[in-house]
Amino acid sequence: MSQLSTRHLLGIKNITAADIELIFQTADNFKEVLNRPIKKVPSLRDITIANIFFENSTRTRLSFELAEKRLSADVINFSSSNSSVKKGETLIDTVNNILSMKVDMVVMRHASVGAPHFLSKHIQANIVNAGDGTHEHPTQALLDAFSIREKLGDVAGKKIAIIGDILHSRVALSNIFCLQKLGAEVMVCGPITLIPKHIESLGVKVEQDVMKALRWCDVANVLRIQLERQQIKYFPSLREYSLYFGINKRMLESLDKEIVVMHPGPINRGVELSSDAADSGQSIILQQVENGVAIRMAVLYLLAGGK
Amino acid sequence: MTLALTSLRLITPQGILPPKNYLIKDGIFTASTSHEEVVDESIDCSKLYASVGWIDLRCMSGEPGEEYKESLDTLGRVLKVSGFAKAVVLPNNHPVTQTKNEVEFLKSKSKHWLTELVLHATVTKDAKGEDFTDILDLHAQGVKIFGDGIKPLSNPDRMMKTLQYLQKFDGILFDHSYDPLISMFGQMHEGAISTQLGFKGIPNLAEDISVQRNLEILRYTGGRLHFQTVNTAKSVGLIRQAKKEGLNVTADVSIYQLIFSDADLMGFDSNYKIVPPLRGKEDRDALIEGLKDGTIDALVSNHQPQDLDAKQVEFDYASPGMIGLQTFLPALVSLSAELPWELLIEKITTGPAQVLGLPIQSDTLTIFDPEESWEYNSQSNESLSFNHPWWNTTLKGKVKYMLGKGMFEQFS
Repeated sequence: MSQLSTRHLLGIKNITAADIELIFQTADNFKEVLNRPIKKVPSLRDITIANIFFENSTRTRLSFELAEKRLSADVINFSSSNSSVKKGETLIDTVNNILSMKVDMVVMRHASVGAPHFLSKHIQANIVNAGDGTHEHPTQALLDAFSIREKLGDVAGKKIAIIGDILHSRVALSNIFCLQKLGAEVMVCGPITLIPKHIESLGVKVEQDVMKALRWCDVANVLRIQLERQQIKYFPSLREYSLYFGINKRMLESLDKEIVVMHPGPINRGVELSSDAADSGQSIILQQVENGVAIRMAVLYLLAGGK
Repeated sequence: MTLALTSLRLITPQGILPPKNYLIKDGIFTASTSHEEVVDESIDCSKLYASVGWIDLRCMSGEPGEEYKESLDTLGRVLKVSGFAKAVVLPNNHPVTQTKNEVEFLKSKSKHWLTELVLHATVTKDAKGEDFTDILDLHAQGVKIFGDGIKPLSNPDRMMKTLQYLQKFDGILFDHSYDPLISMFGQMHEGAISTQLGFKGIPNLAEDISVQRNLEILRYTGGRLHFQTVNTAKSVGLIRQAKKEGLNVTADVSIYQLIFSDADLMGFDSNYKIVPPLRGKEDRDALIEGLKDGTIDALVSNHQPQDLDAKQVEFDYASPGMIGLQTFLPALVSLSAELPWELLIEKITTGPAQVLGLPIQSDTLTIFDPEESWEYNSQSNESLSFNHPWWNTTLKGKVKYMLGKGMFEQFS
């Protein structure tokens, strides 16, 4: 198999384990390219990609842009922290205006759940979801699983604890779908008010005690507290959160095994993760960032037809 | 003028009568007693069924304020072609129906309708749940039904005092009971599907505690309370128990709640975004059971028109609501696979009439063909809106004739 089963990457839920494996194999090749002195390949020459970000982003936007440029695509960027609706223009109009400039692919981040799915029904270009509200962030999940595979050899059979604000996290949901498709066991851990009530219907374990989660897992993927997405209060204070749900080096050292620590960034240092844990040898946070470029190159390349 | 309806099968809550001949003489529906009656026109009804005219306890107009979604003229036409002889129109327009002026406007605009408009005014100013409207003054204009329409009367003190105040004239409080704080930011039913989609959910709890609280208030105050668009298994159980105790309570359910479920939201189609949200199988089963045992008195269209711009946007910006009038009979046909026609007809005739405290009017008639297929599209649509998942599909079940206010009309 050399092609994806879909022409958009809207979410991990919509793709197959074979798709994920193909993306990983392609990313392996691109990672090798990225370590060459000349890091650029002509794969997407004459392809124009629009990065449309309706929500603030630094690393995801940079990572996509770099991936596009490494593939020799032409790139245009559109950023607006407000939704198009609030400015009086509909999302379809905004995107169609950009597509009139002969754009082939759209990478979109949007605060609304399902925005890329909605858009896919109205436009012709390939769409890559770079995060839609509290729903999915498929390339993050792919790069997370790719990084676990790189570090531990395989994802199947591994125990992954996702710790933090699960309710507001698109990373959590995409990770759950991706890791399960690859045969891993998943646990979510955090204050119960930040865990969706019906999360067990997805086949994950739920734990409120961080130490128990750490003892159980092979990998701890620690999530940001998404204060910007919390419309109301879910826990008393950041201080209390860091005391009862934060992870530090001492906790990692108290375990009878060495687990891998991940974080999709940006880290609230001293809240969900202490600096000594984030910067420890167990952390693969910077490898995640590096792998992000290779994964996004693979996704864009495959969606463009893999030629 | 005398019309003969030959071989018509009349459905009553008691059963389906064998085919008989009937007359409509000067706008009055009667059984034909003689074969020698001189008639002006004879209609072969051998493939058709009929019942007294249907009653809808909950539909919405865009006018005044959002005439582009549904004007009162188009609403009148949609009601008529959908088989409704009587309809309660929600008060949540711009301005809301809350003074004599709006009431007079509605009366005058609906004067030429075949369907009789049942007046419904808000119980609080601008439906904000705070200061009362001039309830007795509105009643003097003919309003008997009060409530804040699409908004719940969530303040328990307002609920209590409304139930007390309305007792002066046997007024009825219509309430769509749910807790707005628990529902806050929710986009759909909270469950496995909302978890997969990453949506904040509206838990059943939002309705359950509100129905429970309002029943406790009713127990304290007495009065007359009608729950609109009941939607959860637990609230059906609570209302069932309250009826057993003898509380003066009734309930209705939106017909589309029985047709669709939260699983339909998997494609992010905002036509399925409604309030209360589409729920799961367990709740639907309980609603069906509630219809069967009489806990739920009426099926309503909950016709809420939205224009394309209100729906063709990101899901969380989309306005909630689904239209439900022209699709009502096709929905009944779909439900007839599991519920008998007698029961379905009861829930749109005698059931809602009892809710309104009105006798069944024998001067209304809805004649329909449950087998006729038709295309639901811009040619057949009588509404200004088309926010329904069945848009551009083939539907089964068509209203053919209507009798109401002395008018008899045929629909192609």
